[in-house]
Amino acid sequence: MRKISFGAMLVTLGTVAWCAAPAPAYDGGPVSNGGTVSGTVKIQGAPPAAKTIEVTKDKEVCGQHEIKNESVVVAAGGGIENAVVSITAISKGKLMAADSPVLDQRGCAYVPHVLLFPAGSTVKINNDDGILHNIHTYSTKNPPVNMAQPKFKKTIEAKFDQPEVIRVTCDAHGWMEGWFIAEDHPYYAKTDASGNYTLTDVPAGDYELKVWQEKLGEKTQKITVTAGGSAKADFELAAK
Amino acid sequence: MARRETNIDDEKRSYSAVFLLSVGLLLAGAIWSVWDDNIARRPWKYYQAEFSELEQARAREEIKKEDERLAQDATYQQVSKDLAAAHQRLATGETVKRIADLEARQTRFKMHHADVDLKLRIVKSRLEEVWYDYDTAVLEKKPTDAVRTRIEVLNKEKEGIQKSFDESKAQLEQIDNELSEVRSEVKGLDDKLKSLTAERELLAQKLENLTINIGPFALPKIPKIQQIVLEDFQRNNFDKPVARVERCESCHVGIDKAGFDDAPNPYKTHPQRALILGKHPPDKFGCTPCHQGQGAAVNSPEQAHGDVHHWAEPLMRGDKVQASCIKCHANIGGLKGADSIARGQKLFEELGCHGCHLVESYEDLQKVGPYLRLASAKFDPSWLVRWVTNPHQYRPKTRMPNFMFKPDEAEAIAAYLLDATKADSDQWLESRPLPAGIDPNNTALVTHGKEVVDSVGCRGCHGFAADESPALLGENKDIAPNLSHVAEKTDARWLYYWVKGPRDYSAVSRMPSLRLSDDEARAVVSFLLTLGSTQPTEGLEARLRQPETIARGKTLVRKYGCFGCHDITGMENESRIGVELSTFGSKPLEELFFGNHTDIPETWADWTLNKLKTPRTYTTERIEQLMPQFDLAEADIKALRIFLASRTDLKYPAKYHAENDLRGQREVLGRRVVARYNCVGCHIIEGEGGAIRARYQDSPTMAPPILNGEGAKAQEDWLFNFLKQPVPLRPWLKARMPTFSLSDSEATTLVQYLGALDNIQVPFVHIDEAKISPEYILAAQKLTTPDYFNCFSCHQQGDHKPEGPPEGWAPDLTMARHRLNPDWIIRWLHNPQAVQPGTKMPSFYEQDPSGKATGGPDDILDGDNEKQIQALRDYLMVLGNANEVLARNQKRTGALAAAAQNGDAAPPAN
Repeated sequence: MRKISFGAMLVTLGTVAWCAAPAPAYDGGPVSNGGTVSGTVKIQGAPPAAKTIEVTKDKEVCGQHEIKNESVVVAAGGGIENAVVSITAISKGKLMAADSPVLDQRGCAYVPHVLLFPAGSTVKINNDDGILHNIHTYSTKNPPVNMAQPKFKKTIEAKFDQPEVIRVTCDAHGWMEGWFIAEDHPYYAKTDASGNYTLTDVPAGDYELKVWQEKLGEKTQKITVTAGGSAKADFELAAK
Repeated sequence: MARRETNIDDEKRSYSAVFLLSVGLLLAGAIWSVWDDNIARRPWKYYQAEFSELEQARAREEIKKEDERLAQDATYQQVSKDLAAAHQRLATGETVKRIADLEARQTRFKMHHADVDLKLRIVKSRLEEVWYDYDTAVLEKKPTDAVRTRIEVLNKEKEGIQKSFDESKAQLEQIDNELSEVRSEVKGLDDKLKSLTAERELLAQKLENLTINIGPFALPKIPKIQQIVLEDFQRNNFDKPVARVERCESCHVGIDKAGFDDAPNPYKTHPQRALILGKHPPDKFGCTPCHQGQGAAVNSPEQAHGDVHHWAEPLMRGDKVQASCIKCHANIGGLKGADSIARGQKLFEELGCHGCHLVESYEDLQKVGPYLRLASAKFDPSWLVRWVTNPHQYRPKTRMPNFMFKPDEAEAIAAYLLDATKADSDQWLESRPLPAGIDPNNTALVTHGKEVVDSVGCRGCHGFAADESPALLGENKDIAPNLSHVAEKTDARWLYYWVKGPRDYSAVSRMPSLRLSDDEARAVVSFLLTLGSTQPTEGLEARLRQPETIARGKTLVRKYGCFGCHDITGMENESRIGVELSTFGSKPLEELFFGNHTDIPETWADWTLNKLKTPRTYTTERIEQLMPQFDLAEADIKALRIFLASRTDLKYPAKYHAENDLRGQREVLGRRVVARYNCVGCHIIEGEGGAIRARYQDSPTMAPPILNGEGAKAQEDWLFNFLKQPVPLRPWLKARMPTFSLSDSEATTLVQYLGALDNIQVPFVHIDEAKISPEYILAAQKLTTPDYFNCFSCHQQGDHKPEGPPEGWAPDLTMARHRLNPDWIIRWLHNPQAVQPGTKMPSFYEQDPSGKATGGPDDILDGDNEKQIQALRDYLMVLGNANEVLARNQKRTGALAAAAQNGDAAPPAN
């Protein structure tokens, strides 16, 4: 076959349709007349006794204040603090606001104990103690982090791009344990000291609602949200 | 006179029909012979033609794609638009006139210049002529004045012409410049366009090269036999080297061309072209050395593939071809793309095939079965009979094959084993009384025993529930015995001494000692005794003592070759009972006995497959077969078959062999030791293994260390001693590195193996203490303090232990100088996570894009992070002795004495 002339080639050129990029997993936008989901997460059975942690190291810093074991914190009425309630598999709803989450290492404990943020956030990690800590994440979807934070590094940063429940520990202080919850949608909330939570601006529809607690596990239930209405969803997690 | 009789009718008869017929036949014959010679017996011509079509279609497709890409390329579009516009500008308005003017002037000046040039040359030759006259006159001593005058006249004339020559040349150059300036825009754009369409030009060229192009016609290329000759590749019957000729690529035209992966055969690209053909260029290695077949045949695919009767080496397809890898690659375990044969080899070695079958270069492997010289001290007799009858009943995944003994035969064998070992066993037991305090009914003790079992590392090898298999050989064979019914098999006394020190019972035990304390051993045994219970058979004991039964057992042990895998008293002088398999892969079909089978296709591959599946399948009434039933998974059988197929008498010339260097040899030997002791039950080595890690998913730092890169990390002397006599390195681990009681040669093999994996050339580690700068030692001492990295917050330092429970501790840094490779420490400090993913050691530095460390303190060593890392390394290499080195080096360098408070490796202030 002979070479086609250049001009002929130009003539024969067709245009190729522009391919749209695949739609993102979550589509955020203004939600009008959204509903509210609220409720309480309570313990089923006898709540575990409140425990304090025995400080075995760096006592002059870590031992100044009592460190509570925060793995299960139950209020007088049975409400569980620091449980995370979220809607599973929601693809459309309110805008996902950017966040600048901060984790403090204060008195050899993580404040807050459970840190929620949208996936893609950069977490600012402060070392207020002035002793060596390290941030060790046991993540699988996000690249695991194990960074030392010596006295001279007041702040370090770590970015988490994928939604995941990530355990965080300090290898220098074995009792330190915290949690990062990165979500790819804005419908998640942490229960307050009485175990209450609220999710707002939920578009009307049927959803699955999930509660997660680091020690007591997960539970789900179906809910229906009506336009402008308020749905109630309480959870009970069995004591372990 | 005899007169020839003539029949006038004969003369008149027409023979045209006969002629016509003959001509027709001849023509048909000629056509047939041409057709047969060129087409019918030349299927490869058809393949080449069709492939050429395919290739052209692909090339056109590629050009089309490139065109589409260009159509979307904004730069390209812009450049071609600009070019068209520039052309347009050149062809209109003032520019046209200017170019026309310039071109007209150029023509004029060119003519003028040519005239002047000619005149100049004439004048120059005339000058030459006159100079000649002058020289002659001088030589002949004649007057020269007239000639001199002529020279001067001509010189003057030349000067004038030269001047106008230079002028016209300058003029021409100026016109040229002006012209190219006017056209420069077009030229620039043209060049740019050419670079953008370079790829397309290349593709077009490629397409053009696929055909013979005459004028407007593109004719297909004439098909050719593609032949490869491998000089001196094989030996003939007189043991003389002869060449091997093969023509595979005559049909497999696309085998070494990229992009035909989805084409049908024979046009397909080699499925692993980059890996296999990249390392074995077909023109040098050919195809048949790996794939076999009848490479020279081209008449039909069946013939070429050797899929015909009596061709001894039919084509090896799929992963069967891996049987050839081992012909040239000794280090098959580390070879990419050779997984199946490596697996087959490992199964062969670990199933103990060599116990019954002699195979060249596998003669000296160790026996795979347990030591039976003290059998009577170990086994419950009733269990032993059941076990010998059918081991798969008691333990479905055991490696021990089923000999399908009848109950009386099993009893006889058990009787012999117990009787032959009774005297030695009794003596062994005499000094090993049952210790007090073992009690399977003591719940607390049993729970403690289970805790020990769960934590010290037993579960890296053993399963404790019926379906639990932490580590498998192949698909369905346990590497270590499943212990879910262990109490059915043996008793407390044997178990106690066994778990305390397996080598005390058996000098060849694979089971290591976990250095259990007496209390731990008692607890573990109490727990083990809860797993199953003895099930005595009525009247068995008496039967086992009958001399004729014992004698019969001895005959059976001898006949079935039990000593192939086990060390058995009284069987020391026996030799392998099976046939030699050194050249089994090239065993001719007529030597394979198919018994009464008519349902099995008569090929080597089918014979072997069925033999491995049902070893006694070819038994007939007259022919007895002894091979036991292994119950292997199909995939394992196929892998074994690939290994057996590799045992042939074909030897390839040395020049084809992969380099079998020391490194490769060390890897082969090392892998054998690793397999024998199942190091990979706990550790990940070569990226594989670490089954026990499944138990530490929530706390990966509590799992035994990953040993990828261990050769680069540890100093060889240290590693050797550690393997011989492990000491706890990581106090936070509950799992213990067992004491394997390795021989010196085994420990050396392992050290060399780990070194070979990381390509360690020189094992000796040397740090010149005298060259460590005092500045570095002081800086590093500062870096380790609580104000900076606070290293000793977690790391032990000799007798100085960190605060808090041992779970939070890290290895003793005073061991570093003898244990760690100095270069490795540098890599480790840069980024521990990269060296050992999941380590507890946090990163103290980050890396900038060039790999340089950042993030360290600014006030040490002028904030030079690389120097800080060097300093820490140097300090670690003298830790425990740092102050003496510091003092010595300060004296040597004349530096000021160190501040007194810099104590030797000062522990943290708190």
